[in-house]
Amino acid sequence: MAPGALLLEAHREYEKSSQKADEYLREIKEQNVLGDAVRQCVEAAAHEYDPDTQKALMRAASFGKCFLTEFSPDQFVTTCRELRVLNAVRESSVGMPLTHTQFKQMTLQVLIDRLVYRQFYPLAIEVCRYLKIPDYQGVSRVLKHWASCKVQQKDLTDEAIARAVCAKVGDSPGVSYSDVAAKAYECGRPELAIKLLDFEARSGEQVPLLLKMKRSQLALSKAVESGDTDLVYTVVTYLKNEMNRGDFFMTLRNQPVALSLYRQFCKLQEPQTLKDLFNQDDDHQELGNFYVTSSYRDKRLEGRLAQLQSAVDEYNKAKNDFAVKATEEEMRLLRFQRKLDDEKGAGLLGLSLQATMEALMSLGLHKQAEQLYRDFRVPDKRYWWLKLKSLAEKEQWEELEKFSKSKKSPIGYLVREAPPLNSPL
Amino acid sequence: MAAHLSYGRVNLNILREAARKELREFLDKCAGSKAIVWDEYLTGPFGLIAQYSLLKEHEVEKMFTLKSGRLPSADVKNIIFFIRPRLELMDIIADNIFSEDKLHPARDFHILFVPRRSMLCEQRLKEQGVLGSFVNIDEYILDLIPFDGDLLSMEYESAFRECYLENDQTSLYHTAKGLMTLQALYGTIPQIFGKGDCARHVANMMLRMKREFAGTQNQILPVFDTLLLLDRNVDLLTPLATQLTYEGLIDEIYGINNGYVKLPPEKFAQKKQGEGSKDLPTEPKKLQLNSAEELYAEIRDKNFNAVGAALSKKAKIISAAFEERHNAKTVGEIKQFVSQLPHMQAARSSLANHTSVAELIKDITTSEAFFDNLTVEQEFMTGVDTDKVNTYVEDCIAQKDPLIKILRLVSMQSVCNNGLKPKVLDYYKREILQTYGYEHILTLNNLEKAGLLKPQTGSRNNYPTIRKTLKLWMEDANEQNPNDISYVYSGYAPLSIRLTQVLARPGWRSIEEVLKMLPGPHFEERQQLPSGLHKKRQQGENRTTLVFFLGGVTYAEIAALRFLSQMEDSGMEYIIATTKLINGTTWIKSLMDRPESQIP
Repeated sequence: MAPGALLLEAHREYEKSSQKADEYLREIKEQNVLGDAVRQCVEAAAHEYDPDTQKALMRAASFGKCFLTEFSPDQFVTTCRELRVLNAVRESSVGMPLTHTQFKQMTLQVLIDRLVYRQFYPLAIEVCRYLKIPDYQGVSRVLKHWASCKVQQKDLTDEAIARAVCAKVGDSPGVSYSDVAAKAYECGRPELAIKLLDFEARSGEQVPLLLKMKRSQLALSKAVESGDTDLVYTVVTYLKNEMNRGDFFMTLRNQPVALSLYRQFCKLQEPQTLKDLFNQDDDHQELGNFYVTSSYRDKRLEGRLAQLQSAVDEYNKAKNDFAVKATEEEMRLLRFQRKLDDEKGAGLLGLSLQATMEALMSLGLHKQAEQLYRDFRVPDKRYWWLKLKSLAEKEQWEELEKFSKSKKSPIGYLVREAPPLNSPL
Repeated sequence: MAAHLSYGRVNLNILREAARKELREFLDKCAGSKAIVWDEYLTGPFGLIAQYSLLKEHEVEKMFTLKSGRLPSADVKNIIFFIRPRLELMDIIADNIFSEDKLHPARDFHILFVPRRSMLCEQRLKEQGVLGSFVNIDEYILDLIPFDGDLLSMEYESAFRECYLENDQTSLYHTAKGLMTLQALYGTIPQIFGKGDCARHVANMMLRMKREFAGTQNQILPVFDTLLLLDRNVDLLTPLATQLTYEGLIDEIYGINNGYVKLPPEKFAQKKQGEGSKDLPTEPKKLQLNSAEELYAEIRDKNFNAVGAALSKKAKIISAAFEERHNAKTVGEIKQFVSQLPHMQAARSSLANHTSVAELIKDITTSEAFFDNLTVEQEFMTGVDTDKVNTYVEDCIAQKDPLIKILRLVSMQSVCNNGLKPKVLDYYKREILQTYGYEHILTLNNLEKAGLLKPQTGSRNNYPTIRKTLKLWMEDANEQNPNDISYVYSGYAPLSIRLTQVLARPGWRSIEEVLKMLPGPHFEERQQLPSGLHKKRQQGENRTTLVFFLGGVTYAEIAALRFLSQMEDSGMEYIIATTKLINGTTWIKSLMDRPESQIP
């Protein structure tokens, strides 16, 4: 008799409170095969169909285990669990008469898949939970299948399905609402898809499907919500190609974040579009700045002046008096510089007012410098410093003395005693 | 090599190691010999993560700087572009690929986007018709780079400009992502405080990203107790003021880039015996500045006026240590002495270097110009005559001092006066345009948009209230043995750091009024920790706060936070993170627009 059979017998006697139990047990132990006996019982149980027989065999194994030390319980525990699962799927309502060998061969993953394909979702989930399979391989996977199936139920309203899906799936990690929504969209239920997408926590994930569904406005706002500017750019580029210009601008107008990003893009890539955007928003200040920037790109003075004139017009509309005046002054200065460059080859064009006066002085064109000082209402202080420096640099001491006496110095006098006086500073 | 990163309360070397591991993995993905084509901006930050030796171990044989035209010849199997996701750079890459020699055996091209790949850029490559040429397109997520044991920076130069001028929040997205990475390594931060619109935006994104990763619970015991997010525009004043700590002054005067400073070489000439001082080195002297250098760690955060004394004390200790050799009598004692020699020699050369640096700085800080400038700054900060045109500023313009200096001063006056009277503002603006050129009208406009310059509106000047409530000005600040953070600016206590200090104790509720005067919302959020991860605090154990400056932080502010960490009764240790390490000059520069004239 095999040790397992003997152990089964021993347990039966033990249940009957018969001393034969001890006898059989001793027999097994003497041959040093108690471990084998337990293993045999467990294995036999695994191959049994009848739950009562399974139980009898497992109890015998358990009984035998009591007399062993350092015996790994793994096989016993695993078999218990597997038997529960096998018994559950063998139920007539499910009807999968799997043998234990078949089960081992096809693996648990496949069993769950089969349950899913037969739409035994609750059982599949129970199995996953019972066998403690990590969520993303187990429960979540089942839920994902369930949800994908649920969205195809034609007899339910979009609202009902969305609610049901949300209630079941909740925040389960690894279930992508976007995937479920994509399925709904494939089945021709775009409204449902949108409702489902709302549950998607990752805004970024919603965007590609929304674009595919041509819900570009929604895609844009989801992209903005995600905070991922690259995603926003992506949607914006897509919209730009899809829509006519007017609609595109209108759409952006409702999304300030996207609009700012698009402006950035245009600044580098499409300056003309940037202008149109400012125009549409009546942003005259920015338009003014735009013309100023582009004025520097113009290769001819006439062009540059024309651009600056446009800037003046815009600054006027923006009621920015300072900018209007400053720009007009710049235009005047440019014309003046051009005239002197033509007449004297002074090389002034593009210099600041201060630098222009400085250059004029060093060329000895003091009258012209003074003209600028008056025309542009340069503060006395700054002009005096400049003139003082310029005369000192050229060591025109008499001139300097004359200048210093022309009126009271707005920058004071510094008394130095001992010559040589290299610099008035 | 990067041991100084692990000395602090939080071991930031973990972050660096994680970054290195990812880099190695990417390099190994491209089997065979490699050449790297660098987006030049990235080389500095990358230097803090990996030296060339690491790249070499992974078969990187050549390195080039990205530029148009044909790539330099290199007999390698792989060409890898390390690149920021910017459209203009994509065009250069496309040009590189088109210029490849068709006769040569084909090389494999790869792109590594730093810090994140971009659909927009890939689309551009596709439009250019080169997307298919790449075997591998990947991203290298490098948001927060460890600069020191208590300092992280993203080195995202344009963050402030993008956020406040261009309404482009890309940098904030990277910030939020960077904070998620940090939390993945150092545990969920249970408490988040913030002040400012950008801070709010980052906190919102963080909370949402956390929801998105729901389920993957972070099982790490939190290292940080609190995160404080601060917008730079809450405190526009501090970066404008001249920093007066040792490190701050080095940055103000010479500029510290990615932990290195380049100094004029004259003072560092090696005087060798028998050689005249004829051949002075012409290359600038490059020094690495971080806490790995013992002496530097000691003096970097001191007020510059206390650095001299510290250096001479150190000099005495070192020469005493060298004198020890006369006492060494037995062989054992001599051996002991010799074993310490390398350390002592390093200390001596470090001392020599910093003495030279201090001399260089002293030449400047003792100059009249520096003194005058500082006096005016301090007048502004104490609210003296901030509503009139300042004669010193006027004179500086007349003398054509550097424009940035002028912009710093005028902005400071405007901030300290809660805006300037329109007449005063227009006067300054006109002076600037007439002297430095009309093109700066765009820069002035930018400064106005950023709130640095503004016309005073009807509302009352609230700066004095803020100054008094937060004690921003401390008379008799002790520079030698400071007892308050105001020592970092010799009197001015940085607003941003005061906010941090008050938050720790007694809490922001005590300054509600002032918080309302500063721009943007203030808020508090909590993040749930999985049960079992709640910290059991030891008696007397300090709390750790991560202070994140959105839009930049100065070295003086960092010094002030370190000072708070070291105060015995503060009970708080600070780790500092920022989008960019800045000073007034680099900051203003980032806000400037300078169109180039095309007229020949």
